[in-house]
Amino acid sequence: MKAILSLLFFVHSFAVFSQEVDADVVIQQVVQKLNTVKDYSVEANIKTNIPLIKIMPVNASIYFKQKDKFKVVSKGIAILPKQGFTDVNTFLMNKGSYMAVSSGTKTIGEVKTNLITVIPTGETSEIILAKLWIDTKRDVILRSQVTTRSSGTVIVDYTYGAEVQFGLPNQLTFTIDVKKFKMPKSVAADLNKTDQQKKKTADKDQKGTIVIKLTNYKVNKGISDAVFKEK
Amino acid sequence: MLLKNTYNEFIKILAKPRSYLGIGALTLLVLLILFAMKADGKSFISFVTASFEQTLSFNGNILNGNLIAFIILQMLIVHIPLLVSLVTGDLISGEAAMGTIRMMATKPISRTQIVLSKFIAGAVYTFILTLWLGFLALIVGKWMFGTGDLIVLNSDGLVILKEQDILWRYGLSFGVAYLALLTISTLSICLSAFAENSIGPIVSTMSIIILFTIMDVSVFDSIKPFLFTTHMASWRSFFEDPVPWTTIRNSVSILVIHNIVLVLIAVYKFNKKDITS
Repeated sequence: MKAILSLLFFVHSFAVFSQEVDADVVIQQVVQKLNTVKDYSVEANIKTNIPLIKIMPVNASIYFKQKDKFKVVSKGIAILPKQGFTDVNTFLMNKGSYMAVSSGTKTIGEVKTNLITVIPTGETSEIILAKLWIDTKRDVILRSQVTTRSSGTVIVDYTYGAEVQFGLPNQLTFTIDVKKFKMPKSVAADLNKTDQQKKKTADKDQKGTIVIKLTNYKVNKGISDAVFKEK
Repeated sequence: MLLKNTYNEFIKILAKPRSYLGIGALTLLVLLILFAMKADGKSFISFVTASFEQTLSFNGNILNGNLIAFIILQMLIVHIPLLVSLVTGDLISGEAAMGTIRMMATKPISRTQIVLSKFIAGAVYTFILTLWLGFLALIVGKWMFGTGDLIVLNSDGLVILKEQDILWRYGLSFGVAYLALLTISTLSICLSAFAENSIGPIVSTMSIIILFTIMDVSVFDSIKPFLFTTHMASWRSFFEDPVPWTTIRNSVSILVIHNIVLVLIAVYKFNKKDITS
């Protein structure tokens, strides 16, 4: 009996150990791929579908430079999620700041992915928990679900095209919880609407999506720091 | 005869210092708002977008001339009625107080035409005031803050309108705002027909506006849609997406009916009035 229990304990410990190693390796391979990108610029078409916001699709240019320089330039007003572009990548690059645990496999579309749960080790980290669905064949993230202290939970679905070699997507779909959005009453004076109409619109608690199509990548061509300065 | 008298009425408006007081006050108010927005406009923006900014980031030139014009229009449309009634409330009663109305009534012009010429002159003055507001808000605003998409906060959410989709909305909204101010002008001239002094119609006009505006209690819900004050902010509807044309048509109809009824009351009263001054 003792021998069987010892054997079971040994097998379990080995399994747990091998899972931890796998999760770290999977993440490091993704990070390694992302590290090949020193800078990039890309044209973005942003379609926002959020219940409380009406906006037409907007074109913008996005600039990124290692380590965490990021800028969106648009002629009109462009609405983007506050998190999900570079913060996960930046977070993953700091290896000592988190613990990765493999949580099994899951198929997204037709691609088999490894689900990795990332837990920050620091108490003050903005990210509380991240779940990453990683395609280990291409070493890219196919889906991420990141919970932060200030922004709640944001799910991002990634689609890849020609720039998959750099781990850069050609489409990002952000799913955002809009329940906590509230309209400030004092500035939203709308005299023609009755209270019942106002209540009806306020009850529309649901999720919103932002779809960003990315085209015309220019990777590692060099971007001046002046681009990232506030104008 | 009507046109000639209208011209004379307009000359009289121009000769009164209080007519310039309205334009001066409007200029000062708009310049103050423009200065305040230049100094601390970003905090105003973050007040509007605060509930979204935890999750979303707004990129681009939000604080632009189009938004400034919208803010100015929203802030001042409450105060301009006072500036309008200050001049138009005096048109009949002022002359009654001075005794000149008696002399006018002896001229070969009907009393109806006298009243109508005063209404037309008041309408022209109101138009100039609205035009001046539009110039200061939109042209000076764009000159100071540049141009860009317009972000509007309605009770059911944010609407972001493309820059090229804004000018026609401003054109029509200034039209409806003018109609609302014209109703104030007509109301004060109508009240002026009942009074013998200048202050009475001006104070009465403002009292009616305040009274109708604060009747925001469910008990008055049945009559509220028929009050002109309910439709004074309908210029805002042009900045909704899609534009609620039926609501705007309804508001315009109510305002036009108010104007017609008030003119008819004034004409009737003035025709029946004993001019003893």
